[in-house]
Amino acid sequence: MLEVEKLRVKFPDSDHFLFKDLSLSIPFGQKVLIVGPSGSGKSTLLQILAGLIPNIIEVPLKAEKLQITSNYGIVFQDPDSQFCMPYVDEELAFVLENNQVPAVEMTEIIYDLLAKVNVRFENIHTPIHQLSGGMKQRLAIASALALQPQVLFLDEPTALLDVEGSKQVWDTITSIQGEQTIVIIEHKMEFVSDIVDRVIMLDDQGKIVADNSPSYVFQHYKQDFDQYGIWHPTSWSDYLASKSFKAIQTNRSNQKLIELESVSGYYQKTRRIFVENIVINKGDWIAITGANGSGKSTLVQTIMQLIKTKGTIHYHFADGRLPIYQKIAFVFQNPELQFVTNSVYHELAFSLKNKGNSNHTIIENHLMRYRLAHVRELHPYQLSMGQKRRLSVATATIMAEDIIILDEPTFGQDAINTFMMLDCLEELRQQGITIVMVTHDQQIVDHLATKEWIIEQGQLAEERYPCSFLSKEVGDSTHAL
Amino acid sequence: MKKKLTLTDILVTIVIALIFSVIYKVWGPLYNILSVFGLHVDQLIYGMWFMAATIAFLIIRKPGVALIAELAAAQGGEFLFGGQWGGISLLLYGFVQGIGCEVVFALFKYKSYHLFIACLAAIGATIGSLFLDVFYGYIDQLALWNLTLLIVARLIGAIVITGVFAFYIVKALEKTGVTKIIRPLSADDYQSLEEEIR
Amino acid sequence: MHFELTYRQTWLHALHPVFKFVMVIVLFVAILFIHNPNFLFYMLIGFGFLYIGWTGHSFKLISILSSPFLIIFVSSATSMMFFGDGTNTWYKIGLIHITEESFYRGVHLGLRGILFGLLGLLFALTTRPVLLFYSAMQTLKLKPKYAYAFMAAINLLPIMVSEFQTLRNALKVRGVTYNSGIKGVYQRIQYFSIPLLAQSIRRAHRTAIAMEAKQFSNDRTYYYQVSYSLKDLYFTFLILAIMATSFWVSTIYSVFPIDNVRMR
Repeated sequence: MLEVEKLRVKFPDSDHFLFKDLSLSIPFGQKVLIVGPSGSGKSTLLQILAGLIPNIIEVPLKAEKLQITSNYGIVFQDPDSQFCMPYVDEELAFVLENNQVPAVEMTEIIYDLLAKVNVRFENIHTPIHQLSGGMKQRLAIASALALQPQVLFLDEPTALLDVEGSKQVWDTITSIQGEQTIVIIEHKMEFVSDIVDRVIMLDDQGKIVADNSPSYVFQHYKQDFDQYGIWHPTSWSDYLASKSFKAIQTNRSNQKLIELESVSGYYQKTRRIFVENIVINKGDWIAITGANGSGKSTLVQTIMQLIKTKGTIHYHFADGRLPIYQKIAFVFQNPELQFVTNSVYHELAFSLKNKGNSNHTIIENHLMRYRLAHVRELHPYQLSMGQKRRLSVATATIMAEDIIILDEPTFGQDAINTFMMLDCLEELRQQGITIVMVTHDQQIVDHLATKEWIIEQGQLAEERYPCSFLSKEVGDSTHAL
Repeated sequence: MKKKLTLTDILVTIVIALIFSVIYKVWGPLYNILSVFGLHVDQLIYGMWFMAATIAFLIIRKPGVALIAELAAAQGGEFLFGGQWGGISLLLYGFVQGIGCEVVFALFKYKSYHLFIACLAAIGATIGSLFLDVFYGYIDQLALWNLTLLIVARLIGAIVITGVFAFYIVKALEKTGVTKIIRPLSADDYQSLEEEIR
Repeated sequence: MHFELTYRQTWLHALHPVFKFVMVIVLFVAILFIHNPNFLFYMLIGFGFLYIGWTGHSFKLISILSSPFLIIFVSSATSMMFFGDGTNTWYKIGLIHITEESFYRGVHLGLRGILFGLLGLLFALTTRPVLLFYSAMQTLKLKPKYAYAFMAAINLLPIMVSEFQTLRNALKVRGVTYNSGIKGVYQRIQYFSIPLLAQSIRRAHRTAIAMEAKQFSNDRTYYYQVSYSLKDLYFTFLILAIMATSFWVSTIYSVFPIDNVRMR
């Protein structure tokens, strides 16, 4: 049984309590889902129940009663920062070593654990970085199981995975669940609703607003789900039906913006991408898809001229003295890497200054438009994830470019931020700005893209026209190359 | 206040040092090309090699991090770049330079984080490196004017880069809010839990 | 950015990592007390053979890694050659004063630089960091928290390198320009270090917490047991043999007409 009574938490430099006398108890064996908006303290609560706070992470905390367990395992969100060893066997051995399992028994246990999470290797001495996200997270589950935990904590284990990977991970969790208590934080409802028998909902003040059976909560609090950005099975259909989603209008033109003819892109003398003949038209929304490492980002860098290229690329937009990579607005996957100043306002001013402009009104308009006005003085790193993304798009678009390229802009985002981003991009597209995005999200491709480029092994494998009503115009809905 | 180094402190320290190893990778070759001229222009950027120590200390503020940072920067260079730039000898340099910094921080009981302290640490590290250079590079066998030039150039470079730059980089980093997650808490932070609930 | 090297396991890989490490350190310190360039020259040949023949890596990699040796030689040698103390003047123009003593002292420093590089490579190419740290925990009683922190950090290195490359592009795209002079140096350091530090500190923090959550403890068993073997003995003999032979040959065939580069 896990129990907290009158829990108080207040982060340093914060002017409000995160939890104000929160009480909660979870009986042994229960499968609990905790949901809430970002800032509701879900992860903090989970780390308190695991004892990581305050033993390992120092956070001011006070409680009248704090009954936790030392016999637990956690799976975290980020597949790339929860392993300390380079190889699969070494990582699992690390956990066994912590438990003082004799070395001679380790290999057998490692095979058992991997079988449990349904990951099989010819050789267990396989580098972890070669695994897919879904496999990494299943390895993380295996290392949690290595501790033979009574409580399993899952802190958004599939937030950074694609649909396929998420499914694998949740199938695995379903198959391994037994006696133990499971406490889950997750944004994607479709996978967890069958596993849990209790849902606790926190509001943005860290207060429990609902605590009931899943069916009850899903039924009575659906509005809150949307408001909190939680993905549920009807998120997309609701969005498509909403008035904020405007069906893609046929304002595509045949005005060519960028043309690539037999172009290759190189990394250190090796050719990583080759495309025969592709065209980006004005008003296009192009989705670049393909497996990890297939060459999507390389293609983008080729178009941007950030890497060495061979072949002919025609850029049909206003020529200037700036290099190509400064004439195309570009949004990186990790927005933080492109912030260069100490405040949101200056971030936008920096973009403008490069264009020899410093118009205060333009900046203010942009702040309003991207809902960043209230945080204008904040350091970009202090923003929420959604705000960071919006800021990076804002810094890219304030220069009024004809084309914007984005590298997985909705990756790991909750529903609210995803749809907010898509609305904002569609609005840009309607204004005649061309959008090119690398994405894993098939829903975006199907509902918003005018053209899909599927990349396989450094080549353009297929060009599709996903939007059904557009395909009538161009004839075939797909044509293989 | 916990003064003992935790796993988190050590890991963060090493990672800070490795970042500077990655940046050295850009600077290292430049450094060697500059030094070909023999007039010690290269010494002006020698302070880059001590930077990890002051930055790690100013961020984590605990005893031992400066030394670990210097050793890690040396060791990182080793495994990152094959070690042809002196390999394990860098480890010896890392050790004396780290000790040079630690001595300064210890003199102020690890409680002072001013610009002045960072500059003093830079001088400490410089002394450490010069000590090893007597054995490694026979610097005592240089013409006196040339030796003086070397020492002055290295000192100035160290004070500017290891002291001043490092101090302001940490100041800039504090604005990002990242340092909050690793610095120890103060008693005030606990006190505020007793406040009335508004 | 990950680079997997394929290589042949040689007997140098099978040595006890800490023992090998200590041997190399001892060699380093010993070399600091060798002032005879002839001795150093023949040692370089001896260890050169070991490097070329027995690291188990491809000839291509071996040559790429040794390509900076010329720069190392020149950069370690020049200031001593041009500005070192000496009495027997060969050439003098302005500040540059090349004497016989300073010239050979410069050559000696150059050889030393290469030899250190060679030994460093010899060690790094034949030692897996993970095994070095396991062996340090078992033999030197290094505290596991240090060993695992190092191993975890090395594990994070590829992400840092790729982040560095992304950042380079990001700064280009944003159109960041730098001032000239010292201000520009600071700007460069700041633009690069702040984002990298912020990302990596957060990631390291997460990793450390994940490790603690796996009940990290200093009392533990070891997946890899590191032990000594006869090969360690052979290695010791080989090093002694290289040293002895180099010394003996240097007394017979001198390459440089000087046997102590120090003056005082």
